[in-house]
Amino acid sequence: MIDTNVMDIDKFNLWYGEKQALIEVSMNVRKNKVTALIGPSGCGKSTLIRCMNRMNDLVDGCRVEGRMSFNGQDIYDKSTDVMLLRKKIGMIFQKPNPFPMSVRDNITYGPKIHGVTKPDELDEIVERSLRQAALWDEVHDRLEHSALSLSGGQQQRLCIARTLSINPEVILMDEPTSALDPIATSKIEDLAGELQKDYTVVIVTHNMQQAARISDYTGFMYIGRMIEFDRTDKVFSKPSDELTERYITGRFG
Amino acid sequence: MMSDGGSIKKVKKFHHDTVMKYILMAVASVTVLIIFFIILFILGNGIGAVKEVGIWNFLTGFTWKPSIGSYGAMPLITGTILVTVGAILIALPLGLGSAIFISEIAPKRIRNILKPVCEIFAGIPSVVYGFFGLIVLVPLLRNLFPDHLLFGTSWLAGSIILGIMALPTIVSVSEDAMRAVPKSYREASMAMGATRWETTRKVVVPAAISGIAAATILGIGRAIGETMAVMMVTGNSAIIPAPLWNFFEMLRTITATLALEMPDVVSGSTHYSALFLLALVLMLMVLAINFIAKMIIKRSKRKFGDPTVPATSSKKMRAIASAVKNTPRTIWGLMLISVFMMTFILSAVIQSDMLVSFICGIIVAELFLIFTIGILLVPTGDERIPGKLQDTSKRSYMISRYSSKLIRSAVLTGAFVFVWMMASLFADTFVSVLTAFVFLAAMIAVIPLAKRLGSGIREKIAHISLTGVVAVVVLVLIVLIVDIVSKGLPALSFDFIFGYPTDGGLGGGIFPAIVGTIQLVVGTMMIAFPLGIVSGIYLAEYAKNTRSTKIIREAIDILNGTPSVVFGLFGMAALVIFLGVGYALIAGCITLAVMVLPVIIRTTEEAVLAVPKELREASLALGASKWETTMKVVVPAAFGGVVTGLILSLGRAAGETAPILFTAVVVFRSSISFSLADPVMALPYHLYFLASEVPGSTTMQYGTALVLLLLVLFMFAMASVVRYKYNKNIKW
Ligand SMILES: Nc1ncnc2c1ncn2[C@@H]1O[C@H](COP(=O)(O)OP(=O)(O)OP(=O)(O)O)[C@@H](O)[C@H]1O
Ligand SMILES: [Mg+2]
Repeated sequence: MIDTNVMDIDKFNLWYGEKQALIEVSMNVRKNKVTALIGPSGCGKSTLIRCMNRMNDLVDGCRVEGRMSFNGQDIYDKSTDVMLLRKKIGMIFQKPNPFPMSVRDNITYGPKIHGVTKPDELDEIVERSLRQAALWDEVHDRLEHSALSLSGGQQQRLCIARTLSINPEVILMDEPTSALDPIATSKIEDLAGELQKDYTVVIVTHNMQQAARISDYTGFMYIGRMIEFDRTDKVFSKPSDELTERYITGRFG
Repeated sequence: MMSDGGSIKKVKKFHHDTVMKYILMAVASVTVLIIFFIILFILGNGIGAVKEVGIWNFLTGFTWKPSIGSYGAMPLITGTILVTVGAILIALPLGLGSAIFISEIAPKRIRNILKPVCEIFAGIPSVVYGFFGLIVLVPLLRNLFPDHLLFGTSWLAGSIILGIMALPTIVSVSEDAMRAVPKSYREASMAMGATRWETTRKVVVPAAISGIAAATILGIGRAIGETMAVMMVTGNSAIIPAPLWNFFEMLRTITATLALEMPDVVSGSTHYSALFLLALVLMLMVLAINFIAKMIIKRSKRKFGDPTVPATSSKKMRAIASAVKNTPRTIWGLMLISVFMMTFILSAVIQSDMLVSFICGIIVAELFLIFTIGILLVPTGDERIPGKLQDTSKRSYMISRYSSKLIRSAVLTGAFVFVWMMASLFADTFVSVLTAFVFLAAMIAVIPLAKRLGSGIREKIAHISLTGVVAVVVLVLIVLIVDIVSKGLPALSFDFIFGYPTDGGLGGGIFPAIVGTIQLVVGTMMIAFPLGIVSGIYLAEYAKNTRSTKIIREAIDILNGTPSVVFGLFGMAALVIFLGVGYALIAGCITLAVMVLPVIIRTTEEAVLAVPKELREASLALGASKWETTMKVVVPAAFGGVVTGLILSLGRAAGETAPILFTAVVVFRSSISFSLADPVMALPYHLYFLASEVPGSTTMQYGTALVLLLLVLFMFAMASVVRYKYNKNIKW
């Protein structure tokens, strides 16, 4: 079975000022699959994932080279509408970061930005997104409460719902569970599996079991390089690189 | 030490730590005593007027004319409020725009230039602003509006100058608030495809709103207490403008009244007492404003600090809301109509102009409408029945639908009224109402059009306008500095710096004024530094959160917000008259010292608190006492911050006029005296005197202004150098 690629990354390099943080990285993201990125701290996972929706544009002195494409179009091309790109490639951050507004306003924020004004339509979006993020049952009767009054796990699911509200094709998650307790973590993990049906997910994680459990593809990075990228079962059962093996078996360093 | 056999028993009964603590506490209490004395003197002296004039007559009387024994403070209170409102209308858009530009748009390099520019703005003495207003702005306004302004001195001029003066406060406080908004909010918004501008408008500004509100209120506080600048450009006639929004009229503020009348008043007379009562009113106004600012800041801290508290309304609000909700619609409609009729009839009686009355009626009725809808949106609690999904979503639907409509109609109504008021100053009723309607129609037509523009274009427009705002602000500062420097430089000469004034100020030099200012600054320093630093250290290191600490802090805050002219009044009553010191250097120094004390205390405290806890713990863990730790570790580490605060406060003391106006200065001295009991000349007062009393002395004025500006800016530059060096050497 051949999966279609949503994103192709080919010999991609990135510099923060003088320091090169990504070196000749190549990988691809398959449609409706979960792709996990693993690797020791500081190896460039966040950097890579933030390149995919050009969040690194916000960093002063950041420079890229090489090709990264989304549905065949170069993401870093001059003609790319960055706002539209980010609408199609959503992002969940390490720490839950809901806006200090009501639950409802958090979700309607994106649609309003992108031109939805009808209250009925917005209501529908709120309900759909919250249901998809498995949060509706918990918050439907406090949509007007501050989003900051939710628990950490609920906040993270709210952030996911917020991203879903604008119907992205790809959802990037940068260690979405590292600030959460085990129960909240497993809820998010289940969610990532669910989302796979309608969306493509890229997830950065430090948790080997998590990567093995929920992902279809896994990339292992080390000091700015993509050491190995393959199907998850293959990476975990018979990695082709010795570094990878040492890392996933915990005999690292 | 080594030989005491492992005992950990106390050796001495009184450890030096305890002793030091009480000494520090005693010094800190002096601050409280000072506050106490200020209030005592002002109350004590004001009580006479309460007896003779009566508090009601005083507050509501329409005539302030001490020469005929008429003490109605209404025009002065109105003047103070009006000039402040005007100043905020000017300063808020400019300040907020600049803050957004600095915090969200400007590249780092430009931000690093703009922040010090802001500090320069804040450091320029009030009298220099007044001088600039008098010599540049007033003639400019007179030429712009020759039909409306006979002299140019006016409410408008006062508001513009005060607006410029309030700007730095508004910019820096709201910029801080926006910078404090977590980066993660911005990232979340951008990651959803929002532009930078959308992110700013919909996430950053709302998240920082309480900081911005606090900034505005602090700006208002600054404007209300301002003396010299307002006094120089508002014309000082104690009348209420007619119509109330006629900004071409002259007016007179409370502060100006105090500064103008205090020097000539007979001690103990009704007039004397009435001035103290005025000061009391002023202080209460400032206190109220600072109180509101504090509440807002406190609330915002709670909002961010404890996110588990949902934003629900108070019990009282909920009760009102459910009462409104339960009112039948017919009654509600009748109320609306009667509000309209009442306004219509009332204004027809007053104005006898049907059209105007009709419009007034509609506006008030709409405001009533907005108000009631606003109340309807307050959650009463009874809508949230668990399990009933339909109801909740209906309610939230209502809220999301109405709140934006509500805001829009309020803004439109406000804009309509504003345009009408402004137009009515230039044209008759019919034309001005027409103008307002045309404006309203244009707004209603343009808003949907603007919505249809792409987000990219809207962002461009916003950025261009914000850049424009900053350009205006920077331009004003450049004009001010260039004007004073270019016209002041020719005046500078050896004779000017080292000569005595001749021909009543028309010629000669300003040597005694320079020396006097230096004497005042040095004297202030010697009194305020020890008191301030010790109190600051005490508060940061020793004070526990007890009742007495709270009182001390409260006292410092009050002292901090007190207008400088009130300090002058206190100095006069307590030192010049009560202690019989007379106009003297020492009286001026004490007055200035009391004024800068809170600044020193606060900056010292902040610098000391900024020293990381780890350093203290490291020292204490080595067995050092608290006092040793404080003196050998904490204070040296905080040194840079403390010194910066000291220099800044001296800059302020050097530029102030109002506090020395009736405690220490004279117009002319023919020799330099170092006696504490002699009065002195001073640069700011000399500038004020030349500008307002000596026509034809323009060159001398510019020269004096330049020297004063240089002196003050030199101090600020020094403060920056100290801070820079300190930041470079110490990093944690
Ligand atoms: N804004 C930045 N400026 C300069 N260097 C940066 C910046 N962000 C990251 N780096 C550097 O780039 C490298 C990769 O960082 P990155 O955050 O991508 O690592 P990571 O794999 O996500 O690590 P972690 O697992 O700890 O999150 C690191 O060496 C880091 O120091
Ligand atoms: Mg990371």
